[in-house]
Amino acid sequence: MMELVLFQAAAALYTAGTVLGFIYLWNRGERWSRWMYYLLAVGVAFHLASSGLRLAAFWAIPENRFFVPINSFFGALSAMTLAITGTFIVVEGRHRLGILGAFVLPWAWLAAAGTAFRGYSMGGTEIHGLAPALQSYWMNIHPLVIMVSYAIFGNAFGVGLALLIQERQLRSKRPQELCYRLPSIEELDNLNYRLIAVAFPILTVGIIMGGIWAHEAWGRFWGWDAKETWSLITALIYAVFLHMRLVAGWRGRKAVYTSMCGFACVLFTFIGVNFISQLHGYLSAR
Amino acid sequence: MELLLAGINHKSGAPVSVRENLAAKGTPEILRRLREAGWTEAVVISTCNRCEVYVVRSGGAPCGGLSELARLVEGLGGTNLGSHLYRRQGAEAVNHLFCVTAGLDSLVLGENEILGQVKTAYEAAFAAGATGKLTNILFQRALFVGKKVRGETGISAGQLSVSSVAVALAERIFGSLKESSVLILGAGQMAELAARHLLSAKVSRLYIANRTFERGRELAEKFQAEAVRWEDFPRLLRSVDVVLTSTGATEPVLTRAMVSAAMEARMGRSLFLIDIAMPRDVEDVAGELDQVYLYTLKDLQGIVDENMGQRRKEIIAAQALVDRVTEEFAGWLTDTAAGKKASLRHAPGRSARRGERPFGGAS
Repeated sequence: MMELVLFQAAAALYTAGTVLGFIYLWNRGERWSRWMYYLLAVGVAFHLASSGLRLAAFWAIPENRFFVPINSFFGALSAMTLAITGTFIVVEGRHRLGILGAFVLPWAWLAAAGTAFRGYSMGGTEIHGLAPALQSYWMNIHPLVIMVSYAIFGNAFGVGLALLIQERQLRSKRPQELCYRLPSIEELDNLNYRLIAVAFPILTVGIIMGGIWAHEAWGRFWGWDAKETWSLITALIYAVFLHMRLVAGWRGRKAVYTSMCGFACVLFTFIGVNFISQLHGYLSAR
Repeated sequence: MELLLAGINHKSGAPVSVRENLAAKGTPEILRRLREAGWTEAVVISTCNRCEVYVVRSGGAPCGGLSELARLVEGLGGTNLGSHLYRRQGAEAVNHLFCVTAGLDSLVLGENEILGQVKTAYEAAFAAGATGKLTNILFQRALFVGKKVRGETGISAGQLSVSSVAVALAERIFGSLKESSVLILGAGQMAELAARHLLSAKVSRLYIANRTFERGRELAEKFQAEAVRWEDFPRLLRSVDVVLTSTGATEPVLTRAMVSAAMEARMGRSLFLIDIAMPRDVEDVAGELDQVYLYTLKDLQGIVDENMGQRRKEIIAAQALVDRVTEEFAGWLTDTAAGKKASLRHAPGRSARRGERPFGGAS
């Protein structure tokens, strides 16, 4: 019960933080963005506490002991929420671009809402024993590594969105106040690139780890399972982005569109594929 | 304790000679005369658009009221000012000072220089030992109000000149301009004006290319810029970030083909073209290229006009804020005069309240 209360508190704080992020978009006054940051940080703390309780309940089943509880759609979404807010707090703390809250936090909010809906409202929270194939130390590494990369891609998507808006503002010849509040084109472009340059190797390593785990569990590295295929497509699109930016100088709109295609694949791999994948179907609660 | 104010500004229609006479007297002299006349505290704000005298009348001191103050100012100004001289006391005087620091009373609505000017005026009075408890707190408060109004309303938002708009846009594209270099095509008056403004934005390098190399070099020497031969400027398009054109040419000097060729070598880095020439110097279609942002004089002027309109719309909000803090200050004044212990919310710096150094804290 406490777990639910803590999660609800966290979700309320995420919601408030997201709202403040949007207010800051239209309202000068640094206090909005400062409070957005504080509320988000406290929200993460509550969320962590809630997850801690869940972990304790999960470990009450002997065969689950010391594995992370992300073998359900609920668990994965909850972890995803934490990953997005966590990476946002890091990016925001380093770059002090409060304005990005409005572009990144909606994703965290969606993930939190999904967690609440799929988990607490639809009863997706009951705890089962882990399937034997998942009882591996890879369970604690492979999904988490991949999720961290997804969360960073999510942040990059928000930055890309801000870049598109800023470009449109400047092209309009009549920039509105928003233009002066958003970071500059070059800053956004560099940040988008740097986030993807960090997330891409993490994703690649995550996929390779998946291959190794698959070899241990099923005796082959790669089986063209839907999840495997789509994660490969995702990685390839981001590879194209990085390659074209470094070699052909793709910047601005063209580059952002490419990276956004990559993020669309992330979303599909994370959510959509669960309904067609045989082996990674755990998220659809099969 | 009561605050009195007498002053003239750009709106009051006083003869220019009065402001000149007052300025010629010098602030220390005026302060000395005011103290001699018996006022316990005095601050004089003297700028090219205004001359205002604030004094404090204490209960026991042998000094006059508003009419005596007006007479003294007229004496210093050398003429009878009649209705040209505005006189205020108490809360009205406080309100006026807050309007001044908020930029509501300025010729250019919401301009920022006035903050520095009031600060200097106050510091001069402080150094001369002419300030006291009331003026110390009042002027600290006034500067705080000036910043607060600018922060919370759009009274000083947006640039009001073509060149400052151009610099602001360049910063929206490149962030800080410290690592950006600028190429100016043409060496006329407009080019000079733009060069001056860009240099104040601390661009890393400035190049000037003119058809007549000698004239370009003259201008370049003036600004420690680098003069470039006209034939060589297309090569520079590959490395500079901002190109400002202001030649007298009748045909475009910067074509889409030239820009397109440069963009290929720029590896996608943005290019900002500012065309302030009449007729135009840059082919309009050049602005359609990816990562190229083209603004003409007309575009920039349009933004200036819009900013001016935006500032005017903020007058009501700014005035309301000023009125609110005036009321609060007047309340504090009454309480203090009555011997009650009172405090101001969000006071700018605690040091001044204790009558120590001005601007010591985070004011």
